[in-house]
Amino acid sequence: MKMPVWFKPWFDRLSSMSLAIVLLVLLALASVIGTILKQNQVQADYLTQFGSLWYNVFLSLGLFDMYHAGWFIGLLGFLMLSLVVCLWRHTPRMIKDMRKRKVIIADKSLQRFHHLKHWKLNKAELTQTIETVRSCLSGWEQKTAEDGGKTYIRADKGRRNKWGYILVHGAILIILVGGWIGSQYGFRGTMTIVEGSTDNTISFVKGTGTGHLKMPFDIRCDDFFIDFYPTGMPKAFRSTLSIIDHGKVVVDHKKIIVNEPLYYKGVRIYQASFGDGGSDIQLKLFHLGTGKIETVKTKVYETWRDPKTGVSLEITNFRPFNIENMANPGEPKEFKDLGPAVEFILRGPGLKPVKVKTFMRPFVMKGQDRGNLMLVSLTGEDSDYEPFSLGLDFSQPTDWKLYRNFVDILKKQKKDNSKTANFAAFKSAMSKVFGNKRPKNFQQIGGRVIQGMSNLSQVPWPFIPVLEDYDQVYYTGLELAQDPGMNTVWVGSAALVIGLCIMFYMPHRKLWLVLEKKGNNVKISLGGMTTRNKLDFEQEFHELLTKIEQGFDSSSSEGSAT
Amino acid sequence: MTAMTATHFSFETINRGLPAFARFCTYLGAIAGITAYAMYGPSGYGDEGLLYFLTPSSFAWIGIGALAGLASGLTTGMTKPSVTEAKVALNLVSWLDGALMMILLAAFWSALEPSQSLITYTDQSNLISGRVIMTMNIVFLSSALLYITYLFAPASIVGNLATATAWIGVYSGGSALLLRWYESYLLSTEIGHAPVSNLYEVFILLFCITTVIYLSLERRYQAKAMGAFVMALVSAGVFFGIWLSARGHADIKPLVPALQSYWMKIHVPMNFVGYGSFAVACGAGMAYLVRDYLEQKGGNARLLAIFPSLDQLDQLAYKAVAIGFPAFTLATILGAAWASEAWGGYWSWDPKETWALIVLLTYGAYLHVRVSHGWKGRSLAWWTVSGFLVTIFCFVGVNMYLSGLHSYGRL
Repeated sequence: MKMPVWFKPWFDRLSSMSLAIVLLVLLALASVIGTILKQNQVQADYLTQFGSLWYNVFLSLGLFDMYHAGWFIGLLGFLMLSLVVCLWRHTPRMIKDMRKRKVIIADKSLQRFHHLKHWKLNKAELTQTIETVRSCLSGWEQKTAEDGGKTYIRADKGRRNKWGYILVHGAILIILVGGWIGSQYGFRGTMTIVEGSTDNTISFVKGTGTGHLKMPFDIRCDDFFIDFYPTGMPKAFRSTLSIIDHGKVVVDHKKIIVNEPLYYKGVRIYQASFGDGGSDIQLKLFHLGTGKIETVKTKVYETWRDPKTGVSLEITNFRPFNIENMANPGEPKEFKDLGPAVEFILRGPGLKPVKVKTFMRPFVMKGQDRGNLMLVSLTGEDSDYEPFSLGLDFSQPTDWKLYRNFVDILKKQKKDNSKTANFAAFKSAMSKVFGNKRPKNFQQIGGRVIQGMSNLSQVPWPFIPVLEDYDQVYYTGLELAQDPGMNTVWVGSAALVIGLCIMFYMPHRKLWLVLEKKGNNVKISLGGMTTRNKLDFEQEFHELLTKIEQGFDSSSSEGSAT
Repeated sequence: MTAMTATHFSFETINRGLPAFARFCTYLGAIAGITAYAMYGPSGYGDEGLLYFLTPSSFAWIGIGALAGLASGLTTGMTKPSVTEAKVALNLVSWLDGALMMILLAAFWSALEPSQSLITYTDQSNLISGRVIMTMNIVFLSSALLYITYLFAPASIVGNLATATAWIGVYSGGSALLLRWYESYLLSTEIGHAPVSNLYEVFILLFCITTVIYLSLERRYQAKAMGAFVMALVSAGVFFGIWLSARGHADIKPLVPALQSYWMKIHVPMNFVGYGSFAVACGAGMAYLVRDYLEQKGGNARLLAIFPSLDQLDQLAYKAVAIGFPAFTLATILGAAWASEAWGGYWSWDPKETWALIVLLTYGAYLHVRVSHGWKGRSLAWWTVSGFLVTIFCFVGVNMYLSGLHSYGRL
């Protein structure tokens, strides 16, 4: 095939190694940018981070979705082109070189070899010497020829080393092609399904927005299960899925876990994440002003609003287990489950919005009931949660009763603030609630109520929300993917590894032996060369020399090597 | 055995010929036995993990396999002596010897473990592996000091001591990891997992692999002066490991669901073969630069005499890259295979993945300039040093500064 004249310099440039190196370095630098600049974030985040000027500059450069930007794809395309041209140019010559092994070597070229050794054998027969040498070279591919009274032996090891080069470069090409097929004809996205419901649409990141794709089948999440370690870390989570294709259940109650996806019609379904699927939440609101107890029913992700006060609770999450390390830093860890808790953002007129986590059970330490606990975050960040003790145990009706009575009696005798008056008020509240029959743990109850007196007065809200009941439902986060190019990538990967091993560990080593009969003597020259792994070849060459010399010694006791 | 052979007995003779070959066959048999037990054993390999292999019936299978291997090795070796010269067996047998020694050492440590009732998840300070790791730290640091001393006082005893301490470090580190594997099961069967799941554990793995790669190069090419540089790098890592353990990262923690896969045992160690060899290449590069500097200054002939020649150092750096590059490529591919089973795709442009690619591109470019442009010497030495900086960022920097899917090793 002939190429047009104008094309030749471009062809040379494309296949040049300098271009390859420049491309590799450019790709590396571009990849660095892509890891430092967080990819595929929400537009608003970028705007606040960089300001509108830099936002527009980065946006026009495609840096927010860099790995899919035109110039990055172009760079990869250029690499492919360079690989194709490089292979096109070098492969035929390499294959020819591997097939044809020149046996006859000019004396001048032999003298230039880095590894060279000469012998002169006295009173030796040529044929016998050849035999000896050849047997020493067992394991080497040998070829002999005669020319001008000289016998040439060429021996090769790792003759197919150049295949390593061809395989490696071809493999990278194959992997890139596989990646391209995947990006063109494949998809990958997430689907969240609440327990018991069905869905068929995945969503995926598209630049700084979101795209959607409908699957040709429906997935139903029959059940979701999660197991925790004693430390509160998730140990395993598992979805039970059914697939419904055209109204027919084709996969029935199949369990999937992380690392074990489900495969249906070329689509892989992975367990990726989980979360609350909108659990039913029942809260009890203990009104601080009136003393009334109100029951509120709501759901996670919903907002409940109190019509009277305008205070709203935006329920953000619910967790049945809340395992915390109760030990001080430096001490042995002590894990404790604080029980079910609901999280919400509390807003209201004149109130600073705060994030709150409120529990169902009181906080018990060393067997002692310390009353209910709330975690409050003023910033809305989970890391800024501060514990706030409410004092009262809201799961015990008597705590609240005693507290209210105490507050009422104190209000009535507001003039007298003395210790004795307070004590008398407490005593009368006690007898009002319990009558003559004081419970055994009345001291503890009293302690909690007195604690509650001081702590609850700091609460600016009209009521104290406490979790009363829940009906938990999870959603399962699935990842769905189809990649028709994946097998191509695996083929390429296998070729790449095999090619690298051939390239590095089977270097081509060449030996030339020139034998010449001169009178009674035989003159022998041995030259060796290799392209890679010179250190090992040096050792190998020396070992060979000793082997050959031993061979000479044993084959002719009269002959001597010089 | 006759008196004559007894007097000639040395380590050389058991590492050659029939003894080596028969031993190799015994190891192969034992490996076959354990594989067969995992696949066809009575209850089948399941949730018990490592404990499944620590039962009498498992030892019986291994023993039978080993005996069968030994018998077949002896018969083939005696009937056809040329087989015993096989390079593969001779090269691999010392590695397998080392592995066996490490296992035996770990078994010995495990006997010193406190009683089961005293072992708790919440306080792991009484576990023996912590003490073995402390020993490893001290031994590696003294090895580095000895190697540096050797540069200035090249007495053979200093050199031998340096090499010996490096080996002791490798064996204590390796056996400590094996012991930690066992200890994780002592804490609880559900916590038990291979000791390659967090930054602290893989750091120890990295020290051992780096040192082993260096030591095998040292043995083959007599490049002892390089040890000062490689072991200095290892020592820097040791200090980082101590810092990690002071920060409470040394505890055995249960595995998150994403890591509960056999891929972890394959992908992670393979990566560290790559990281380790790049560290050794960096050591060779540094040695090159120092020698080059000394030569230009025309200084210290005694110091120069200890260093391998510039050409040799250049070759050694290449040699290390030649180990690391295919290993790291394979590790990245294995990671991609795992990702395609766990994350929904073989490639996600996750920061760790991308940095692995950057490392490969860096060393790929190194190989290209070396082979095609015939670059040699100083510029390539700099390349191996800066390439290792890229590698360090890929290993630790990504965990510190960038978040992504690989956030198991977060600091």
